[in-house]
Amino acid sequence: MIGGARMSDVSATMDLRRRDAADKLRGRTRYTIDRYLPGMLHAAVLRAGVPAGRIIRLDTSRAARMPGVRAIVTAADAPGMIGIGIADHPLFARDVIRYDGEPLAAVAAATLAQAQAALAAIDVEIEPFPAVLTMADALASGAPLVHPDWRSYEVLLEGSARGGNVAWEATVVRGNVDAAFARPDVEIVESCFRVGRQNHVAFEPRAVVASYEDGRFHIETSTQVPWSVRNATARLLGVPASQVRVTVPPVGGGFGLKFDLAVEPFAALLARASGRPVRLVNSREEEMLTCLFRENADIRIRSAVTRAGDIVGREAVVLMDCGAYGGEQIFLTTMTAHTLGGNYRLGSVRMVSRAVYTNTAPNGAFRCCNGVYNTFALERHTDEIAARIGMDTLAFRRRNVLGDKDLGATGQVFEGDVLGPMLERMDTLRDAAAPPPARTDGRLHGRATTVGTWFVFVGPSAATVNMNADGTATLVTSGVEIGSGSMMQSLPQIVASTLGIAPEHVIVRAADTDAAGYDVGVGGGRTTVSLGAASLSAAQEVRTKLLKVASEMIEAAPDDLVMRDGRIEIAGAPGSGRTVAEVATRAQALAGPVSGTGAFTGAGVPAMPGCVAGHFIDAIDIPVFAVHDCEVAVDPETGHVEVLSYRVVQDVGRALNPRAIHGQIQGGVVQGLGYTLHEEVTIGSNGRVCQSGFETYRVPLALDVVPVEISLYEGAPSIGPLGTKGAGEVPILNVGAAVACAVANATGKRVQALPLTPPRVLELLLDRKQDLTLPHIADAWADNLTRSHQTSPKT
Amino acid sequence: MGFSLTVNGDRLSCAADPATPLVDILREEMHLTGAKPVCREGFCGACMVLIDGEPTPSCLLPAALADGREIRTVEGLAPLGMLNRIQAALEASDAVQCGMCFPGMVVSLTHFLTTRPDATRDDILMALTGNICRCTGYERIVEATLLALASA
Repeated sequence: MIGGARMSDVSATMDLRRRDAADKLRGRTRYTIDRYLPGMLHAAVLRAGVPAGRIIRLDTSRAARMPGVRAIVTAADAPGMIGIGIADHPLFARDVIRYDGEPLAAVAAATLAQAQAALAAIDVEIEPFPAVLTMADALASGAPLVHPDWRSYEVLLEGSARGGNVAWEATVVRGNVDAAFARPDVEIVESCFRVGRQNHVAFEPRAVVASYEDGRFHIETSTQVPWSVRNATARLLGVPASQVRVTVPPVGGGFGLKFDLAVEPFAALLARASGRPVRLVNSREEEMLTCLFRENADIRIRSAVTRAGDIVGREAVVLMDCGAYGGEQIFLTTMTAHTLGGNYRLGSVRMVSRAVYTNTAPNGAFRCCNGVYNTFALERHTDEIAARIGMDTLAFRRRNVLGDKDLGATGQVFEGDVLGPMLERMDTLRDAAAPPPARTDGRLHGRATTVGTWFVFVGPSAATVNMNADGTATLVTSGVEIGSGSMMQSLPQIVASTLGIAPEHVIVRAADTDAAGYDVGVGGGRTTVSLGAASLSAAQEVRTKLLKVASEMIEAAPDDLVMRDGRIEIAGAPGSGRTVAEVATRAQALAGPVSGTGAFTGAGVPAMPGCVAGHFIDAIDIPVFAVHDCEVAVDPETGHVEVLSYRVVQDVGRALNPRAIHGQIQGGVVQGLGYTLHEEVTIGSNGRVCQSGFETYRVPLALDVVPVEISLYEGAPSIGPLGTKGAGEVPILNVGAAVACAVANATGKRVQALPLTPPRVLELLLDRKQDLTLPHIADAWADNLTRSHQTSPKT
Repeated sequence: MGFSLTVNGDRLSCAADPATPLVDILREEMHLTGAKPVCREGFCGACMVLIDGEPTPSCLLPAALADGREIRTVEGLAPLGMLNRIQAALEASDAVQCGMCFPGMVVSLTHFLTTRPDATRDDILMALTGNICRCTGYERIVEATLLALASA
C-alpha cells in the first residue's frame, strides 16, 4: 500500500442483496447433495453398534461379491491419524471401538440400496468393553481408558497437560487467588452448572462427491474448511496434501458442523479403489447420532466479591465432553479464559478447562463454541453474586464490565469502553419499548439483561483479485458461502468500493484449493475480517496499478484521481477521465492483465507472561461484545417458557451490510432459543444418542419465536478491514444466559441447567430438583489439575 | 409395470419401483433437485411439492400414487427466469440464507397466498408450522409473506 494514498472513494456500506437468492428460491442452486455425476457410485458406511469394544473379526469378502459392489475400504486403507493438538483420531476404528456409530468399513456400489445391502453382509464380530458414557464415569478413579495408548499419540502442539481420560487441559492463572479468597471483607459465591449437547441440524447433511483423476483426488464437498479437508484427508490416507483438491459448491448450512473433516476421506478412498466418482451423503439419522455436537459441559465457578461489588478473585473448573476423540474441544479449552473469564474486571483469576474423553460420539464446533454455555454460567453466577451482596444486577454489571485499559483473564489489555456504552444503549432500547401487557394470565414474568464476550477467530487468509478488461473483477479465495451471505455481500462490497465498480461486477469464485491460497475456513466470525482483509489488500494493489495507468492516460497525478461509478476520473470533475474498463484494457495491453494479491493473519495479542498453559492462543485479537435483554412468561401449570420480547445490542465494529447483519442476529438468537428451551440431546445406557430425527429433536418453529429488536453498536476498535468485526457468529452467544436469568427472575428458582424444557422448569417450580452438585469436580481447585499450572518457555 | 407422472406440465414415464418416495424420483430421475430430502419424516417441509394444487411432502409419498395427478415442483412455479409473488418478496426482503428450506417454504407459501389472501401475521406463523428453517429465525419470511399479501 502506498503511504497516505486514499484507498477508496465510495463507501463499502450498503444493503446489497444476495446474488444467490433468486436461484435458491427457484430450487436451481446445486448444493453438494444435488450433484450427480455420470457413472457415479453410491457409498455407505458401516458403523459400530456398541460404544466400546474390540474388533475380533471384520470380513468383507462376502460383501465384496454382492451385486453392484465396486469397492470396499477399511482401516487398512487409511493409515494416518488426525486431530487438533494431538493426533488421536483414525478414520476407521482399528482394533478398538470408542463410540456407537464409529466407522468400521465403507462400501461403494451402483445404487445406494446395493451399498446398504453389502454393509449388512460384512461379517463383524465385536467383543464389547465396559464403556464410560459420562464425564463423571470417565474421571472416576480406575475408570477404563477410552484411549489406553494415549501416550503414544503424536503431539501436534506442546504445552498441555494430559493423562488418563483427560485429553487436554488448559489453565490460566493471574494474580493470587488464594489471597483474594482469604480476605476478610469478601463474600464467597459458588455456582454449579450443567448443559447438554446441541445438534446443528444443518439442512444439508454432510455430503461429498469424490473422484480420482490424473493421480489426484478431487473432493467436492459440503464443508466450511476446504483446506482442512485437503490436509486432513491427505494425512489420513497417507498421501501428499498436494494430491488432494477440494472444491465447495454452495453449502446448505454449517453452524460449525462442517468446520472439521467429515465423510470426505471415505469417498476419496472409494473413488480411488473403484476408478469411479463416488457420492456419500449422511442420512438424517447419521447426522443426528454422529454430528459433531456442541459439547455437554459441567462448570463450577467461585468468586470472592467485596460488599462494594468488586470481584477480587475468581476460580473455575470447566469440564468439556469431547466424546471419543479430542477434536475441536482440545482447542476450545483455550476459550474458557476468554468467555467464562470474560465480561468483567477480575482482581485475580484461575481457571482450568479440561477436555474429557468418553465413549460417546465425538463433539465439535458449534456457533460460539464454548462461549454459549460459559456465558450462561457466568451470567447466572453474576446474578447470584449480585443477590448475595444485595446489589442490583444491572448496577453490578455497569460497575464491573470490561472497559478501556482493563485486564482480561490472561492479562491482555482491552482497548476502549465498549460494554459500558452498550449497556446504556440497551437501557434506551428497553425504556423506549411499549410496557408489557397486563399480567393477568397467572403466568410468572421475568426479565434479564446479560453481557457476553466473544472473539473473531482470525488466522491466515489469502485472496487474489483479477481485473478483467471489461471492467469487472474476479475475486479468488478459498471462502465458502455457507448461508451467512459474507461471500455474497461483504466481500464483493469491499472489493467494489475499493475499485469504484458496482458490487455486481465483482465475480466471486467458489472455493477451490487449486485456485486460491490457504485459508483457515469460514467460521469464527472470520469471513468478513480475515478473507475481507486479504480481499481488501488484493483490491488495493489492483487500484494502485490502475491509477498509475490512468494517470498517464488522463494526464493527472494518481492522487488527484478517484474511482467511482465504474470510472477513473479527476476528483471533483464527474464525467472526466475514463471508464475502469478502458483503463484495464490499456493496462493489459501495456504490461499484461492486472491482478493483485492479498494476505492476512491475526497479529497475535500477547498474554501476561506465565498466565496461560495449554492454550492455542494467548489472547483475543478482536474481542466482540454483546448485550442481550429478554422478557419471559413461565406457565406454572406446564413449565412452558414463552419469550415475550428479545433485544440485542451487538458490537459489530463497523456494519458493512446492516440488513444482512440483522438477518444473522434474528437467526442466531432463534438458534439460541432452541438451545435454551427446546433442543435436548440425551445418551442412552447403550451409549447411543436418543434423538434420531426431527420428531424427537425439537428445533424452533415459526410459532416459537419473536422478532428481535436490534441495535448495532459501531465504533469499537478492531483490526478488521474498514473497522469490521465478525457479526454472524456472535448473536447466539448470550441467549442461554439471558433466558435463563429471566426464568430465574420469574420463578425465584436457581436455574443451573439447560435446556429449560417444560419438564425441567416444572421440576424447578415444584422444588423436585435438588441443587446441582458436581462430585467429579474436586473441592480444591488445584486438585482438578493433571499437573500444576506451568507454562513452557516461549522460544 | 411402470407408471407415469405429470411434473410441471411434462408427462414422463417411470420404470422405478412404484414405492420409491416421490422426492427421489423427482431428484434422481427427473433431475429436479429443488425438493430437498432433509428429514425424510414429513416434519421439515423442505421437500414440499404441489399435488393437484395441495402442498404435500414428497418424501412420504410413494411415487406411483402420484400417477394421474398434477405435480408441480418449485422449479415450475414461475416461467423460466422469473420469480412468482412470494419468491420476489423473499428476494426483496433478503430473507434467504443457506437456502435449503426455501424450495419447500416457497411451495407452501405460494399455495398460502392463493388460499388465504386475508391472512394475518398469526395465520402466517401457523401456516409455517410444517416448514422448518434453521438459519433465519423466520422473521424475514413472515415479513416477506406480509409484503406479498399486500402487493396482491
